[in-house]
Amino acid sequence: MSEPAAETPPIEETPVSPSTETPEGYQVRLDVFEGPLDLLLFLIRKKKIDIHDIPIAAITRNYLEYLDRKAEINLDREAEFLFVAALLIYIKSQMLLPRETDLAEHEDPRLVLVNRLLEYQKVKAACSLLREREDVQILQWKRHFIPPLQGESELEPVELSLFDLSESFFLLMKRRSADETRTIRGRDVSVEVKMKELVGILRERHMFDFLEYFEANASLEEALVSFFCILELVKSRVAVAVQDELFQTIRVWLRKDAHRTDHHE
Amino acid sequence: MNSPLKNIVESLIFVSQEPLTLERMQAVLEGVPAADIQAAVDELVADTAADGRGVQIIHVGGGWLFSTKPAFDREVRRLLQIERKNRLSSAGLETLAAIAYRQPVTQAEVSAIRGVDSTSSLKTLLEKSLIKIVGRKKAPGNPLVYRTSDEFLLYLGLNGLDELPSEEEIAKILQEEKAADA
Repeated sequence: MSEPAAETPPIEETPVSPSTETPEGYQVRLDVFEGPLDLLLFLIRKKKIDIHDIPIAAITRNYLEYLDRKAEINLDREAEFLFVAALLIYIKSQMLLPRETDLAEHEDPRLVLVNRLLEYQKVKAACSLLREREDVQILQWKRHFIPPLQGESELEPVELSLFDLSESFFLLMKRRSADETRTIRGRDVSVEVKMKELVGILRERHMFDFLEYFEANASLEEALVSFFCILELVKSRVAVAVQDELFQTIRVWLRKDAHRTDHHE
Repeated sequence: MNSPLKNIVESLIFVSQEPLTLERMQAVLEGVPAADIQAAVDELVADTAADGRGVQIIHVGGGWLFSTKPAFDREVRRLLQIERKNRLSSAGLETLAAIAYRQPVTQAEVSAIRGVDSTSSLKTLLEKSLIKIVGRKKAPGNPLVYRTSDEFLLYLGLNGLDELPSEEEIAKILQEEKAADA
């Protein structure tokens, strides 16, 4: 563990040191470790082990002892701890394999782990330096950081990242799909009613524009019902659909000889 | 010295909500040599750092910015009705450090460095605007690539990534830890 209690600043709000000395020895809470590498580094420091020459068997035993107190870690994290346990055991097995010649230094099976530990150790050390910076900066209020006092002001133009944009897009999509559900539940359009409406329009105006009519339809469902009705009217020869030219709008006319309209109704 | 230039520069920094760079000031103050502006800024920084002022001008994010002095944090927070300004969690800071030093990086690379799945930490850092997505890596799955943001520099009082703790400083910390153990 890389944060010695003596160096933690006095304003520390949560205890970072994972261990407290008691007469019985060390009591360690697993949940204070950021992860398996953190735990390993702690053990290596505690046992005063040279990181470049780790006694894998001993450290594995210690490591597994801590894992046994796993009541305090949740399953997600447990997998990560177990992964490193498996890695330790794998390394040990590699070291036990009999070989014809001695391994060169760069072939040490421990190297993978050592490099990861060294890198992680650097990140941890950098963290303690960055934390010091954060502790100073956090006390210096800049105008930029000042949040509005009451509620959220939407008026301030802010630079949006791709992340912001995509998030608001998904929010919109969600809201839209909620709207959609409401529309479908809210209004029922029956074929019968629609048919009467269409015939009414045709009687009055003799003709209507296919596309215009659809655009006026409030919901997808209504548009679908209208479409079925028009097909039905054309089929039963009450109306005729005419298109002057390819890609032109389609006009629906009432047939002059539509005596069957009454019959149909 | 109480030159008009110094007063002008102070006004410019005052209205800026983000670090005002020397280049921006030069563009506004046409014809004024950069060295003169720099001298005025330096004087302002020294003036405001002195006792007797509640605000100071600090050099951060590659420019200059007004900030309150740390001593008045309690009162400022009371005004803003902020109980306690939240520091980053250890997981968050660790993730941020891994990104800062290894950028551009993917989620998988950060997780590998930490030995811990870092997805949720990345999300929190994104929400705090301390990191940003800069694209996708040309690798299987086209994972998103992350970098630290300008906000990150401001948050830690840095002027550039080159001001991050150096290898030597980190080695020194590790050395001190070793000494403390012995």
